[in-house]
Amino acid sequence: MDLNALTECLVSTSCIVTQVTSGFIIGMLLFLVAIGLTLIFGVMKIVNFTHGAFYMIGAYLAMTVFQLTESYTLALLGAAVGACLFGIVVERFFMQRIYGGNVLMQLLVCYALVLILDDLVRIIWGPEFKSMGMPDAFRVPPLFIMGGVVPPFYLFLIAAALSIAVIVGLAIARTRFGKTIRAAAHNPSMVSVLGINTGLLFTGVFALGCLLAGLAGGLAAPVRSLTPGMGFSILIESFIVTVIGGMGSILGALVGALLIGLIRTFGALGFPLFTEALMYLAMAVVLIVKPSGLFGREAA
Amino acid sequence: MKSPALRDALFGLVAFLVLAALPLLTTSSALIDFVIRCAALGLFATSLNLLVGYGGMVSFGHGLFFGMGAYSFGIIMQRTGMPIPLAILLTMAVAAMVALAVGAICVRLKEIYFAFVTLAFQMLVHSMIIAWVPVTGGDQGLRGGIPRPSFLGINLADQKQLYLFSAALLVLGLLAMRHIVSSPFGYTLRMVRDNPTRAGFLGVDVYRTRLTAFVLAGVFASLGGVVMSLFVSGAYPEFAFWTMSGEAVFIVMLGGTVAFLGPMVGTVLLLLLNDFVTRVAEHHGLVLGAVILLFALGLRKGLLDFVMDWREARRTRAQAGSAGKDKMAAADKMERVAT
Amino acid sequence: MTGTSLRSMNRRGFLVAGAAAAGTVSMPWVAGAQAKVIKVGLPTILSGRVAQLGTSSRNAALLEVEKVNAAGGLAGRTIELVIRDTKGQPQEAARVARELVNSDGCELLIDAEASTGAFAVHEVARDLGILCVHTNSETSSLSADPKLKLANAFRCARQGIHDSVVGGTYAAEIANAKNLTRWATCSPDYAYGRDTTAEFVMYLKQFAPKVEVISEAWPKIFQPDYTESITKILQAKPQALYSCLWGGDLTSFIDQAAIYALFTQMQFYAVNMADYTALTAVKNLPAGIQSGNRYIKTFPATPENAAWGDAYKAKYGEYPTNWSWQNALAVNFLAEAAKKAGSADGKKIAEALRGLSIKSPFGADGTVTMRAEDQTIVGYAVGWGTTIPKEPYVPEMKSVPWQRIFELEAEWKKSKGFA
Repeated sequence: MDLNALTECLVSTSCIVTQVTSGFIIGMLLFLVAIGLTLIFGVMKIVNFTHGAFYMIGAYLAMTVFQLTESYTLALLGAAVGACLFGIVVERFFMQRIYGGNVLMQLLVCYALVLILDDLVRIIWGPEFKSMGMPDAFRVPPLFIMGGVVPPFYLFLIAAALSIAVIVGLAIARTRFGKTIRAAAHNPSMVSVLGINTGLLFTGVFALGCLLAGLAGGLAAPVRSLTPGMGFSILIESFIVTVIGGMGSILGALVGALLIGLIRTFGALGFPLFTEALMYLAMAVVLIVKPSGLFGREAA
Repeated sequence: MKSPALRDALFGLVAFLVLAALPLLTTSSALIDFVIRCAALGLFATSLNLLVGYGGMVSFGHGLFFGMGAYSFGIIMQRTGMPIPLAILLTMAVAAMVALAVGAICVRLKEIYFAFVTLAFQMLVHSMIIAWVPVTGGDQGLRGGIPRPSFLGINLADQKQLYLFSAALLVLGLLAMRHIVSSPFGYTLRMVRDNPTRAGFLGVDVYRTRLTAFVLAGVFASLGGVVMSLFVSGAYPEFAFWTMSGEAVFIVMLGGTVAFLGPMVGTVLLLLLNDFVTRVAEHHGLVLGAVILLFALGLRKGLLDFVMDWREARRTRAQAGSAGKDKMAAADKMERVAT
Repeated sequence: MTGTSLRSMNRRGFLVAGAAAAGTVSMPWVAGAQAKVIKVGLPTILSGRVAQLGTSSRNAALLEVEKVNAAGGLAGRTIELVIRDTKGQPQEAARVARELVNSDGCELLIDAEASTGAFAVHEVARDLGILCVHTNSETSSLSADPKLKLANAFRCARQGIHDSVVGGTYAAEIANAKNLTRWATCSPDYAYGRDTTAEFVMYLKQFAPKVEVISEAWPKIFQPDYTESITKILQAKPQALYSCLWGGDLTSFIDQAAIYALFTQMQFYAVNMADYTALTAVKNLPAGIQSGNRYIKTFPATPENAAWGDAYKAKYGEYPTNWSWQNALAVNFLAEAAKKAGSADGKKIAEALRGLSIKSPFGADGTVTMRAEDQTIVGYAVGWGTTIPKEPYVPEMKSVPWQRIFELEAEWKKSKGFA
């Protein structure tokens, strides 16, 4: 334990700026993955254990497109669209068969899909870890904001993730699709009675979740090494995020993700050996105090 | 009319005798090893099914108790050298205490939240095992072997005797759990699973029932951990990692949650699959995943549950004609509803 | 109560389970031993995060076995490698190792497992008494701790303490010359990371007494994001940073630290950098990283070593890893020991292995020795140098004479209560 480092940091603006922004970076990528998880749970009531795999696919696609075209914009697009299309295939062929079924069977199917997808990635891209490399546009010295260090790429990353959050949030609040989603999350049978094609709706929600996860993978690709199975650690952390925030709540996912990001960055200063445990502790405490999560509805 | 407990005991005895006769039929130590691993994982998975199948509580953190069993037993043996049976009892007592503390917090929660909090506790314990190096050996596990002094003329350093001992623990453990689920407590547990509100109205203390099941499941899981630590002569943090819990959930699903022996069937199935597939296929994730998909989407339930439902359906058809057996069918049905 | 379906079903449940178990009897688990062929088991990690290292172990062992067989095999018997995936799980490692011996009929084991798996296989070797050569665990205690010593277990891999002596000496020289006194560390939070870092720091301080460590970051192994560690280090403003992160973790760390311009603010000492997999994976490798050697075909700078690295690359399309040379060397040791013993019997080979020196491209002076007292290799090439972003990656390696390493190692053993 190193409480001195923590208190020293808390009295220095530069340190706070640096740690808060780095907490945001970790949190924002988690948030993009967590939106999908929380939406899919909210609407279809399934815990999508395959979600990390779409993050992985996004990252690998981004790397490949970037190597072919040298354009990071195209790489991001490829990651998002690729993961989304792939998500549609998975949803149509497998997920549709398990909606409303036994929770354990759902888990089993997801587990099998994760095993298969990891191995497919290994066959296509090889077992060794890969690195995409930083796009030239972002290979510039970091900025100094009130004495804190902030790399421009991370500013871009936070901005991109925040604008996506706003767009998705607005879409769900304002558009017809969004209203249907909210209605379906609230009362699925009513939505179906009203003549809405729930099959299509479910595919849409799943595809949206996969698109965002793929995008997160693409955004992470320049700075994280790519390996088959890389989806798993992000999946576990995203679960913690959704559980803390409340399953089904987008605002909850945002708050949960930022909370985890900040716990990581400030925890690394104060409790370098227990940062991981701190996250689980946070989750346990939230669940014990408010079992449905910070922003979850009761009786989930 | 025989007492059900007596019948179960008889089956147990026969099963044990068959297992005990196995080394006479084959010289394969791999088969012996296989049965020992089945004993460890079978106890673990069946104990999980007390929660999942009978209690309706899907725990993602059951590996905590498996790891706890392996570590407590290993540490006790390495540090005190007390007789093995005593160490096993002490280990189970430790697991019971931990399960009581963890369960007291967890069993109030519902469904997926219960799953996640058990997972969180497991990961906390896993972090502690990693961090508490002087006692646990940290991420390298308990090293230097677990001493296995002879007791009552039994020498567990000998593979054959360890085999018999594990088989005996397995049979005794299963019998005990079987006894629990067919006892009045077992029926209360199922009632709580199916309709906690109604059970509450009927005067059942739902919280207490769940907590008792949680503690019992933890105790038997630790017994599985003991067998595993005897097998590998050590204890490793992986035993308390969430993947271990995942494996048990997986086994339970593979074998079935309704039939008492479902998890046992699942254990044998998974270990066979694992041993065979890793041996022949380079990309075993692909093969294993495909097989699981086939199971999950094809059968839609565990293997043993599927087989039993299929037999049931066939028998119902056969019985449709013979009115004389109506009474028995009714009795059958009642029993099934109770299960 | 009448006879009910529940109980009869359960009896059948037992029967099903019994039948499944009986079915295994017919599985091809019992292998007949052929006198002409000697089976050597090689459990390693072929799936998951470190599959690449396991594969490179397998490749190197196969490469050498081919040569040994062409030259007559182990005392006239042809080697057949039986390679199995352990998934990096200790209980699988124990199971697979037992199975290799008990049912596949392997007479020798090359344990190509990483840390915890190696300890699990070590216990199997204790139980079964089979000759076992650990090839990938660098944890010093495996051979240094007398409590773990087995007559039939050897280690053919570099050892943490040797690396640290050389690294500490090398770093201290630069620290003294450039007056680098404020150091930080960033290493993975598990036994290897903690021990290696502590030993490096111990020697660094011993040889450069003015050095103080002002910040420590302990990310988890396989953590995807190191931002919190990077910013923590930046806050402390050290002059130099030490890390024993490896593989994909190291490349992630470098990519993420580069955008904070960390490498322009401090010297970076990364013991695991000079490994082809890491060197080639990083797209924009900052120049001037100080690193220990893992496997590099230019160190030792001999034609034999270069030829070996090239032959491996010609066959497998990529350069060997740190695990490759260790497994290749293990096969060489077994072959030489069998020749010396005139037998492929495990006990006789073990006897011959103790104290055996063989010619090897990986030796600091062209030979490597299996030290008799703790049955681990010494005399292998170990050095540190400055990396550049293109081949030969580390133009110049500096080493410490092995005599000096022995002295410091002996002191360390005494301080640990191992000797």
